[in-house]
Amino acid sequence: MIDTKESLSQLVSDALVGEKYPIAKIISKIETEKNLEFRESLFQELSHQKPNFKEGITIGITGTPGAGKSSLLGELCRLFLEFAPDKKMAIVAIDPSSNVSGGSILGDRTRVTLPRRDNRLYFRSQPSQLELGGLNPYTYHVIRFLRRIFDYVFVETVGIGQNEISVSLISDLSFLVMQPLGGDQVQFMKSGIMEVPEAFIINKCDEESLANSSYYMLQSTLEFIKDILPNQSLPPIFKTSVTKRKGIEELLQYILHYEKRKDKNAETLIQLTQWIRNEYGRWGISIWEELESSQWNRAVKRNPIGGIHKLKYEEEERKIVSSIQKKIK
Amino acid sequence: MSAEKKDYLLVDENGQGKPDKPWIFRTYAGHTNAKASNELYRKNLSKGQTGLSIAFDLPTQCGYSSDHEVSRPEIGKVGVPINSLEDFRILFDQIPIEEMNTSMTINGTSMWLLSLYVALAEERGVPLEKLNGTTQNDLIKEYLARGTYIYPPKESMKIIVDMYEYSLHKIPKWNPSNICSYHLQEAGATPVQELSFALATAIAVLDAIKERNCFTADEFEQCVGRISFFVNAGIRFVEEMCKMRAFTEMWEEITKERYGVKTAKYRVFRYGVQVNSLGLTEEQPENNAWRILIESLGVTLSRNARCRALQLPAWNEALSLPRPWDQQWSLRLQQVLAYETDLLEYPDIFEGSKVIESKVKALKEEAKLEIQKIVDMGGALVAIENGYMKSQLVKSQTERLSKINSNELVIVGKNKWTDGIKSPLMTDSDGGIFKVDPKSAEQTLNVLAEAKTRRNAEAAKKSLADLKQAAKDGKNLMPFSIACAKALVTTGEWADALREVYGEYNPPTGVDGQKLFLSDDKVSTVRGKVEAFTKANGHRPKIVVGKPGLDGHSNGAEMIAVSAKHSGFDVIYSGIRLSPEEIVQSAVEENANVIGLSILSGSHKEIVKQLFDELTHYKAKIPVVIGGIIPESDFEELRAMGIREIFTPKDYDLMSIMEKIIDIITVEPVLV
Repeated sequence: MIDTKESLSQLVSDALVGEKYPIAKIISKIETEKNLEFRESLFQELSHQKPNFKEGITIGITGTPGAGKSSLLGELCRLFLEFAPDKKMAIVAIDPSSNVSGGSILGDRTRVTLPRRDNRLYFRSQPSQLELGGLNPYTYHVIRFLRRIFDYVFVETVGIGQNEISVSLISDLSFLVMQPLGGDQVQFMKSGIMEVPEAFIINKCDEESLANSSYYMLQSTLEFIKDILPNQSLPPIFKTSVTKRKGIEELLQYILHYEKRKDKNAETLIQLTQWIRNEYGRWGISIWEELESSQWNRAVKRNPIGGIHKLKYEEEERKIVSSIQKKIK
Repeated sequence: MSAEKKDYLLVDENGQGKPDKPWIFRTYAGHTNAKASNELYRKNLSKGQTGLSIAFDLPTQCGYSSDHEVSRPEIGKVGVPINSLEDFRILFDQIPIEEMNTSMTINGTSMWLLSLYVALAEERGVPLEKLNGTTQNDLIKEYLARGTYIYPPKESMKIIVDMYEYSLHKIPKWNPSNICSYHLQEAGATPVQELSFALATAIAVLDAIKERNCFTADEFEQCVGRISFFVNAGIRFVEEMCKMRAFTEMWEEITKERYGVKTAKYRVFRYGVQVNSLGLTEEQPENNAWRILIESLGVTLSRNARCRALQLPAWNEALSLPRPWDQQWSLRLQQVLAYETDLLEYPDIFEGSKVIESKVKALKEEAKLEIQKIVDMGGALVAIENGYMKSQLVKSQTERLSKINSNELVIVGKNKWTDGIKSPLMTDSDGGIFKVDPKSAEQTLNVLAEAKTRRNAEAAKKSLADLKQAAKDGKNLMPFSIACAKALVTTGEWADALREVYGEYNPPTGVDGQKLFLSDDKVSTVRGKVEAFTKANGHRPKIVVGKPGLDGHSNGAEMIAVSAKHSGFDVIYSGIRLSPEEIVQSAVEENANVIGLSILSGSHKEIVKQLFDELTHYKAKIPVVIGGIIPESDFEELRAMGIREIFTPKDYDLMSIMEKIIDIITVEPVLV
């Protein structure tokens, strides 16, 4: 156990220079139940040892199973090493757990060929632990830690509906990965998640014509929701193919040049407003405005770095829904 | 005096009794280096063997020359290493290839080995039309079960079609590919899966040939006639015989209906057999002799579905590679069956049997449904890429193992009647097993180094550049490969050239979403221990299941991965062909509590050493356990290196394995 001040300080200083085993041990500790105290001393120690840190950017990658997310990440890693020689990246890949035994098979590493002994890349698997939202209860804290060491932290989750895209809530830039003509767009429209990611990837674009028709289909789908998107502009759409090694370099360049940390508060408000209008009409909006002083609003406005803890989000969302429903009844 | 015609006897056109010619007797053989294998072949041929079945070592199968770093632990272990034409010259020294029926068990590098064979023939002045034999070249089963693929499915299929096109025109007696369901059964396939996956594979090959449209209608028929199969025969021999009859009938139907083949002889289901090794036991290994005999009956008894060639495993194959004496014993069994018994004197002895007929019908119906499913999906290639076939096999295998674990499936000497006297067959001075002399690799490396210095470097370079360009242009690669062979290009160079153009393939592991069918007391005991661990440590135990080296037999690793999940572990399993460095890196980054290795190729000592070196590099103390075909004589050395527990085929009880593992990591929590 990490219990003495000295060993934590040693572990943190080793982790900060990118040594893999100490990083791994700290993550395991963060993934341990009742870790509040540990987290507090960890982040204290981190700030102490590296006071003027610049936090890395979190990139969320989600999409249906089979959309080729892991292979895409594998290719991104390869190119990253080539094109960003002075940067470091980490990947957290989340896989579902069994609801019988609680165990899991974490197979995402399979698709990512990592160079050996290279401290610029770090890959960590995480079981979802049966949490809804596609995230592990500790994902957020693990990322928060990794952002102190790595310039980019990729989070890969399986997402198929509104509940499964919480990843966008903890990332600065999130991508939804689809397959060409997979019919994903319609499903995603139905589940109302088209407005969540900042950018789209049509992966497995091995054939030009299929890729193009999917591209235009997605573009016209996005036109429908343009008015609720930030700046009312269409998000970028990338066409990628791992087998043909196409489009991935462009995607990487976009990520590497992504400076803007999104205004999570404003965006969440836009989306929440839209959702309430859809569900409860103007009547719902008026109640929502009455709740201006609710805890939820305060929590959103208070959050300085834009990361919202998922549990908090859901808890507060539930409160809003129940107060609206109470009034409407 | 003309004898009265007897329905029960086979007769010639004059009414004289004339038994069938026996099948081709083969032993799957090759080891150490080209020279030693050449001696072995010549000995086997002199003992009455009638064909060659060449086993290649794993680097040759996976497209690496012997001097590549991943090859080192594997040179000459499970077959003969072939680096260049020079090795073929040694391998076939004093063997008349024009009189041989040569079967090469090779897949990812099939085109290369056939090119070497062609180059050898041309060098010797043997007309190519005299070459007779088979390159296995069934990539689909490699993705599913055996793991010696290199390129992605589409590109692999392209190479297969190239070989059909070239062979039909230049080496008409050659079988360019051999649809091999053998390993599917080894990986747990049911008879229906064996039927449907093999036939769907054949359909994929023929569809691809049709699509290229490189043959006239007549030539296409001949090409269909060149498709041969390599099948497994299991212990349920009546069912297996029915499976063979179903195969024969279904192939007749497919070639007629789907491909319109008019000539009857091109619709014949031609097949060779290696009987099952999966059911062979390490416990009381002498019992395996009877299993092998019974399995042989399934594919020889019924004339309407009698194999063309047969090779039998050795009684001690669950322990190690067979020794020459063990192979001789296998060959003798075939000879007894063919020459001492009256097996070959009768027409089909099951014709008209209601039981057989209805069993065949049932198998056919189920297999047809499954084939339709695969065809509807887009064919066998799609069913590989989307993981469907693989996950079906892993499912069958977990069901089979669950049944052995719950004693629903009886295996004599393993889960029933386990007490027995130790076999005197095992007490010879060599311990009853075969080991490759670790120094023998030097000879191979010398031949390779010499070939490289002696060759015309410019010519080799040019032939490789031409090969690459041809691959980019989508041309038929056979002539370019033969040119490489003649220029003394090496196996690794040939494969690398195409790797550069085609990339390397990484198929789905098939373990996602799988579950065991076990829920007895043992499972709750293990889960209880896992829960206790989780409570004490605040997180679930984590295991990295690693399959290092070039050995692609992943069943064991898959079953351990599924069992560990069933017990409540978080499991990291990334498929086959990992280096020890990659496995350690996974375990370190994931902060795993334990590493479980699976090694069947006999390279465990070398690999374990590399693994511990790497753990030292990271200053990581992660306990390591190992499973596979590991002779007891190596146990002590492995434990001295730091291995905590060793599992062999004897340890079939999955929950006992898991319990041992959880006990090891409970005593010694890894967290700092």
